[in-house]
Amino acid sequence: MDFKCATAFYILFWTAVITSANHNEEFHEELYVKPLPNGQINTFFQFTTRWKLEAGQNLDHTRLMPRTIAEILNIFDVKELHISLTQGLWRYETWGYPVVDSSPGAEMWAWFNGNLTRAQVDSQWKKLTSTLSGVLCASLNFIDMTNTVEPKYGFRPQFGTSKTNSEANGHIRYATLPREIVCTENLTPWKKLLPCNSRIGFSSLLTSGHVHNTFYHSLAVHLRTLCDDEIKENCIIELRETANIVYDQKLLGGSDFSLRKMFGQGLNGACSLADTSIIYVDVTNDRYTLTPEPKEVITSTRGGVTTLFAVYNVKEESNDKLFNIAWVAKERKNSVPIISPPPLVAHRYILNHGQERGKVVTEITNSHWGPLNVVVQENIPWYVPVYLHTLTATVNKERITPKLVHYIPGEQRERPYHLEVALTVPAKSVVRLSIDFDFIFLKWLEYPPDANHGHYLGSAVISTVLPNTKNYTGIPVDGYLFAHSFNASRPGYFLQIRTESLILTLPTPDFSMPYNVICLACTVVALAFGPIHSVATKKIVIESRETSHSILSKLKRKLFGKKTKEEDVAEEKEVAEEKTEDAGTDLEKESEC
Amino acid sequence: MRKKLVLYLFLAAVLRYFLIISKFSRIIRNRVEISTPLNSFKRVQEGAYLYKHGINPYSGDLVHEVPTILLGLSWVLNNCECLLPFLFIALDLLTAFFLYEMTKMVLRSQLDQARKAKYAPDTEDIQLKTDDVEPLSHYVMMAYLFNPFSVASCVAQTTTVFSNFFLSLYFFFLAKKQITPCMLFLAIETMRSMYPVVLLAPAVLQFSENSLAKAIKVVNAFLALCGILSFLHYSMIGNWSFFDSTLGFIFHYRDLQPNIGVFWYFFTEMFEHFRTMFLVTFQMNATILYLVPLSIKLRKDPMMLATILLALIAIFRSYPCVGDIAFYLAFLPLWKKCWKFMAQNFIVFCFFLVTVLVMPTLWHLWIYAGSANANFYFGITLGFCTGQIFLVTDLLFAHVKREFCLKNGQKLFIDGKEAKIILE
Repeated sequence: MDFKCATAFYILFWTAVITSANHNEEFHEELYVKPLPNGQINTFFQFTTRWKLEAGQNLDHTRLMPRTIAEILNIFDVKELHISLTQGLWRYETWGYPVVDSSPGAEMWAWFNGNLTRAQVDSQWKKLTSTLSGVLCASLNFIDMTNTVEPKYGFRPQFGTSKTNSEANGHIRYATLPREIVCTENLTPWKKLLPCNSRIGFSSLLTSGHVHNTFYHSLAVHLRTLCDDEIKENCIIELRETANIVYDQKLLGGSDFSLRKMFGQGLNGACSLADTSIIYVDVTNDRYTLTPEPKEVITSTRGGVTTLFAVYNVKEESNDKLFNIAWVAKERKNSVPIISPPPLVAHRYILNHGQERGKVVTEITNSHWGPLNVVVQENIPWYVPVYLHTLTATVNKERITPKLVHYIPGEQRERPYHLEVALTVPAKSVVRLSIDFDFIFLKWLEYPPDANHGHYLGSAVISTVLPNTKNYTGIPVDGYLFAHSFNASRPGYFLQIRTESLILTLPTPDFSMPYNVICLACTVVALAFGPIHSVATKKIVIESRETSHSILSKLKRKLFGKKTKEEDVAEEKEVAEEKTEDAGTDLEKESEC
Repeated sequence: MRKKLVLYLFLAAVLRYFLIISKFSRIIRNRVEISTPLNSFKRVQEGAYLYKHGINPYSGDLVHEVPTILLGLSWVLNNCECLLPFLFIALDLLTAFFLYEMTKMVLRSQLDQARKAKYAPDTEDIQLKTDDVEPLSHYVMMAYLFNPFSVASCVAQTTTVFSNFFLSLYFFFLAKKQITPCMLFLAIETMRSMYPVVLLAPAVLQFSENSLAKAIKVVNAFLALCGILSFLHYSMIGNWSFFDSTLGFIFHYRDLQPNIGVFWYFFTEMFEHFRTMFLVTFQMNATILYLVPLSIKLRKDPMMLATILLALIAIFRSYPCVGDIAFYLAFLPLWKKCWKFMAQNFIVFCFFLVTVLVMPTLWHLWIYAGSANANFYFGITLGFCTGQIFLVTDLLFAHVKREFCLKNGQKLFIDGKEAKIILE
């Protein structure tokens, strides 16, 4: 028995040594801290796992890559996957653009393998959402064809070459669940996907008490496979887990802050499986003195904008005490931080009076000196029926014609309205895109438990290519680390921003009424049924007015079936007349006395 | 007489035109009592827009108009939009005119019958006379032209104007006894709104003259025309999706927007597993439930049968609107000789007056002020239906009583005491 155990142990040991020697998997952890101009702090975590898959290797044997993710890639033919779970709203005007943008609630989109048919993509999408619902403990299983759209222009694949990208056309599915509430039950499974779990490394900073006590927090998973066009087996699988958190300085107790204040504890060293563990601090504005002082400051010039980053390599720090960075505000009297707005921001709101008709308005502001081409993807659920002929785009109350409109009408309880509008926003101006809708009346069981809370409309997604990088921190599509955004000048910078998600209070029925309504409506129907059938089926007779006046005699007749004398006479006459009349005549003749 | 006719038509046209160009037209167009999901002009506009931009209008669920009308209106919208109000006014006036002509023919044929029949001596006041033809026809026309319901329906430019136009043509050719055009317009209207299929019964009674072969011929003509129309629609759109968006939409009652009928709250509050059963029950109630008994009872009077069926459709259809009600109300003067026997005139009048006035108020309280709820509006629509039901049953009973009295005299006595008519 002992011998067997020892053999098994040796086999396991040598397998481990061989696999680790084979360096085709890498893991990086990065933290980016940026004090925002209006007294908030943005911290952005990125954990990147990259696995070079060569011929002969399969997805069943994973090392750093979580097994669940590898299985998802294997089973569901996914080429690229993005999920984000967000609480709060990103304020573009004051915070600039985030490294990774996401809409409030849950948002998810995926690109599927180019050789699937439409129906296969739909079925894989449904299975994928259900699976991820379990993986992340989120309500992603509520994503189905009633809230899924197929973006045509606004989304670009981030995998492969232009050839595979053109094949991917039509193989994307996108859905949002704006009502989703993000909480600690999502954070734990998200951390479990990391190689070092939450015990050590940057992820140990993400404790639920401190993450969920913030202005804005967004957890995301980004997955893509990059394959060689010639040798299909040569692929790179790239998993990026990001956490974007915005703290309020006031809640942290004043203008000075530190890692310990933000996360409740210092950093207990780097994850030993990580190739790099680096903290980047934005020191462009020079408002704080950093303690300890950074060993290195990187200057990044990208698209004409220069940014300074202080770099802390945590791997090089000693591990005997918790690592902490403190930001101490420099004394600068009469100084007000200037907020320079980003080139493109958008807002969305509902205009209505009463619960009958309304308008969804998307306002896109371009503060850049040149015109910008944008694609607006409206997100309109089936319970907001919009009229395409009322779609108007105006600049300073003057109508402009959109360059392109892609519209698939929705269907109640079947599919959402899919509207994508491409237009040019002139320099230094605001475009108002509005569309009319009707308030809809749902079946009583289709209202959510708190019916008067309202129904959600997910964010609209606005995509554009920016000419400069003012307030832009995104990672280029050919890179995967935050460090890859340094000095990464390109002809244009692809940007997606999301508007607010909206809430719409639909008129409600009285939920306590079903039996009453059924009874009352049926009574009214019976009111017609009774008289019409008695006219159609009963024969017409005459009756003495006196007999009918006496209620007692009526009652008597009903009870005992006894007939009064007059009626007997009338009836006898009728019977006699009936014989003489033509067959088929139902009118009885009664002669005058 | 002709001058008078033209004057009425002119006045009605002016009234409609000024309402259309006034600021009220917007309010009228948006009323749920007037514009239902089925007939609202906004949805026709949407359909026309989608068709123009190469999107199948029936792929969504906003458009419920048949391809012929949709494409026709689409053409008008794209080429001469300013003429659109005139089109609707013209159709409404033509409807009134055909009703007028129809009434004349119906009354004349009734007169012919009356001459042959022998009536009881004291029934002069309930007998039809030659002098009645012209005024009654005028009343019918005026009842349509100046009924606030039909005016509202026309001002809102609902497609019910088309429905009424086709139905008036159906009645015109029914009275004129021309099978093919009569069946054509019935088929057109049936393809649009399903319920008029029951009007096949009066047509069969009118044309068959107690011969089964003729009856089959009439039904065949109807079915053949329905088939031809379907193919026409198919060739215009290129697929069959319009069927589900028109007839399917009416039958399945997919849009629960409140209207003046009994369907909306009933199916909002319905338990899901009973839904299909009640749907079939309610649709039967609006179509075939009364068809057989009434057809047997009124087999000698197809016009009366048509009137009653028309009224029942207007009350019990899934998306009723005031335009439908205006159309059957216009038939009431045709039966003026029955009015004497109608016992609930005052009650019905009060029902109509109160419900029509209170309806917008309760809608406002529910939807805009938020101080009432759906039950209030449901209650008032039930009241409105009840009033109409009283009217219809009263008219039916009055007709039966009149027939009885024409034969037996109006003064009925049993053993020297005054007697009354009852059903047993």
